[in-house]
Amino acid sequence: MKFRIFPREFRDKCFTASCMFSVCLMVFILVVVLFPMMARGLKAVFFQGTNEFREMQLVVFGHGDAERIQRENGEIEEARAFVYEAANRFRRGIDTEHLADEVRGAYRDYGSYLRAAGISGERYSAQRARAKDLRDALLDAFESRDKEYVQSRLQCVLQSRADPDFGGTPIEAYFETAESYSRIAASVDLSRREQYAEAFGEVREALHKLFGPGPGEPAPALTMDQYGATRWDAVERELHRLLWSEDWVETEPGRPMVKETRARREFFAGTELEPVFDYVETNLEKLFQPRFTFYWRYFMDGSTDGHYFGGCGPEILGTLALTFFSMLFAIPLGIISAAFLVECTGDNIAVRVIRTCINTLAGVPSIVFGLFGMAFFVLFLFPVIGEFGHGTLGIFSAEAADKLTKPNILAASLTLGLLVLPVIIRASEEAIRAVPINYKEAALALGAGQFRSFMTVILPAAAPGIFTGIILSLSRAAGETAPILFTGAIAFGPVPDSILEPTRALSYGSYDIAVGDRLAMLVPHKQYGMVMTLVALVLTLNIIAIWIRSRSSRKLRGL
Amino acid sequence: MHSSRPQEAAGFNRPLLLSPGQDLRGYVFDRLGRSFLFFITFLSVVAVLLIFFFIIREASGFLAGPYVKQFFSSTHWYPESREHPEYGVLAILGGSAYVTLVAMLVAVPVGLFSAVWLSDVASFRVRQIIKPVIEILAAIPSVAFGFFAVLVLAPWMQTRFGFDTGTNILNAGVILAVMALPTIISVAEDSMSAVGMEIREAAYGLGSTRAEAMIRVVIPAAHSGIIAAVILGVMRAVGETMVVWMASGNATQIPSPWWDLSKSVRTMTATIAGDMGETVQGSVHYQALFSIGILLLVFTFGLNLISEHLLARVRRKKEA
Repeated sequence: MKFRIFPREFRDKCFTASCMFSVCLMVFILVVVLFPMMARGLKAVFFQGTNEFREMQLVVFGHGDAERIQRENGEIEEARAFVYEAANRFRRGIDTEHLADEVRGAYRDYGSYLRAAGISGERYSAQRARAKDLRDALLDAFESRDKEYVQSRLQCVLQSRADPDFGGTPIEAYFETAESYSRIAASVDLSRREQYAEAFGEVREALHKLFGPGPGEPAPALTMDQYGATRWDAVERELHRLLWSEDWVETEPGRPMVKETRARREFFAGTELEPVFDYVETNLEKLFQPRFTFYWRYFMDGSTDGHYFGGCGPEILGTLALTFFSMLFAIPLGIISAAFLVECTGDNIAVRVIRTCINTLAGVPSIVFGLFGMAFFVLFLFPVIGEFGHGTLGIFSAEAADKLTKPNILAASLTLGLLVLPVIIRASEEAIRAVPINYKEAALALGAGQFRSFMTVILPAAAPGIFTGIILSLSRAAGETAPILFTGAIAFGPVPDSILEPTRALSYGSYDIAVGDRLAMLVPHKQYGMVMTLVALVLTLNIIAIWIRSRSSRKLRGL
Repeated sequence: MHSSRPQEAAGFNRPLLLSPGQDLRGYVFDRLGRSFLFFITFLSVVAVLLIFFFIIREASGFLAGPYVKQFFSSTHWYPESREHPEYGVLAILGGSAYVTLVAMLVAVPVGLFSAVWLSDVASFRVRQIIKPVIEILAAIPSVAFGFFAVLVLAPWMQTRFGFDTGTNILNAGVILAVMALPTIISVAEDSMSAVGMEIREAAYGLGSTRAEAMIRVVIPAAHSGIIAAVILGVMRAVGETMVVWMASGNATQIPSPWWDLSKSVRTMTATIAGDMGETVQGSVHYQALFSIGILLLVFTFGLNLISEHLLARVRRKKEA
């Protein structure tokens, strides 16, 4: 007997364990799904903001204390000046093409200078010829990789320094150039000039990412390029790019490439640029003045292209508008339908058809609602109404009639309303049915009519249940994306000023920011921030609903 | 007229007998009110009819056109090709089938075990905690699941398993399974609870363990509700748009070898969502997308009727 019982008990335990496991798995999944979204999303709201962030907020959105930011910027510019100066000096040594252009320009200027000074004839040609010699010597020096030759050519130029003929002419700049270049040529390995130039390009890019456009640089066209690292995590990322170069090198033929990280400090050792790296690394706080920022305006601000800067205000507004108007349509219809189904009918064929249709409506895939919304509201009903209202009645402007033929908030709301209608009907019906029959009997016995007993007795008693259903359908409407894809959602656009315009929405925005938008890939915290806002909104609504239901069910149980 | 004060309604200073006028008025109001309510309720029916009508209307040009045969027999979907547009829906149907199948393979066992746990194992208190968890899982918007699939699960799969792409059948299937779980659990649990206590007691009384009682007695007795739960789960998976659009990779192909779940596929819903923005209204492509909409609609409508029939059986059992 024992022998037979054991495997049975074992099987039983296994069964129970699998049940436990399944439920734990589900809870685990919930945590795994929600946690990263929430945790990373919060980074869009709570972070270490740098002065670049504060300046961006001031310029783009007009928030912040202008005076304080000005003062900070003054300090920061001072701190950054060292970096820019060093980079500039280094550039003069590397960018010989630029120098050569300058030199050629000065030579041309000298010609016109001479003519303006009234010098002509033989003297003119003689002086030009001497200037030409100097120019060629400089160009030779820029061209050459040989240190000694460079220095000797530069010396040639510098010998003419005392020449009174050149004093106060454009040629005077040659001596400065020659002097600084001779200094640079002494420190830089000229044979590696191309490598330096390439690496210096990367450094400049990293500096641009860190500090924004340098002094004297024209403001870039895109807002995202006009500011440096606005957040401390971005600062750290870009600092790494500044300090380290990463190359993919082939170690052996046929093997996958290996990433090689090298310190730029070593690469630029001995040059004017070398101290910059240490300076930036040690003075990071001074260069950015980071402060802990609670960016609550994230939920109100608009955004720049690709959500690179700013918040999700228009999206929240759009979602609220869509939800509100869909509820305006769905709630009365839903409650009336539920009341009719419970109070006015028995079980005849018409009711059965209605029920089947409600269930069908609940089962229609959301994308089909989207198709229907587009085919019916946007392409059929609204244009007809617009035409009628504009042409026949003359109550609509041509503009409104035109807007009606395009995707708009109204169409999207009606589609969403249709989508949540069965949810509201079912929830309300259940809530009305749950009211004990003796409530109704008592009301009827006191002489109230059917209508009044429903309005004053049954509906209030069923209200918490109905309310729960409404909140759940609210959250459903707020989260749905597919129905509004073709009926009224856009990824970017102004905040709508009427319900006849398309709007941004959190749900569609979450899709777009995750998949559709290349710029947004650069700012993961914004991606997560958007979806966090959506999830937080929906979950808050749900938790409120659950709370109301548990309270009212306790009341019904008499606790 | 109607809003007389409560004392009057119950008062005795008014004759209880109605005058013929009052009687008539009451009758007319009653009838009018009822027909108004009926009209409002009937809007749901109208909505369903309109949905069918307009989806079919937009697709009718395609369904009457020369591409219908190809639609149902070809796996090539190249609607934007200039010279040879092809509108074969089979690969897309296959994609939907793949992700749904994977979703169900994961969700049905997990869902059933969880339903058993909720209906027969967990104590009341624990159940009060777990039920909201399920509801919250059901409440998370599909686009958030899609977001998770693309930005968290896909890179993880790619690095962890070395797949060519992180957006594939497995990814979409797993996420769909999570989304179908709440539906499956709640419907299955309802139907298991509907199986009366006395049936369980009889099974225990005969000496069976809980596993035996559940597997041999309760689950067979609740089979119609469980099948309905699975059908509803399938409907949820087939009809879901955002997750598959974002997570399935959108490559119109039937994976080869057939068991390779790391391939990208494209589903019906994702095709509609992805292509509709690029089509010209009234073009063949546009109509073909509506034809896919009809497929979806017919499919979910059929499943819905079946599940409704099954759930009606459960309800009758509960009442009995």
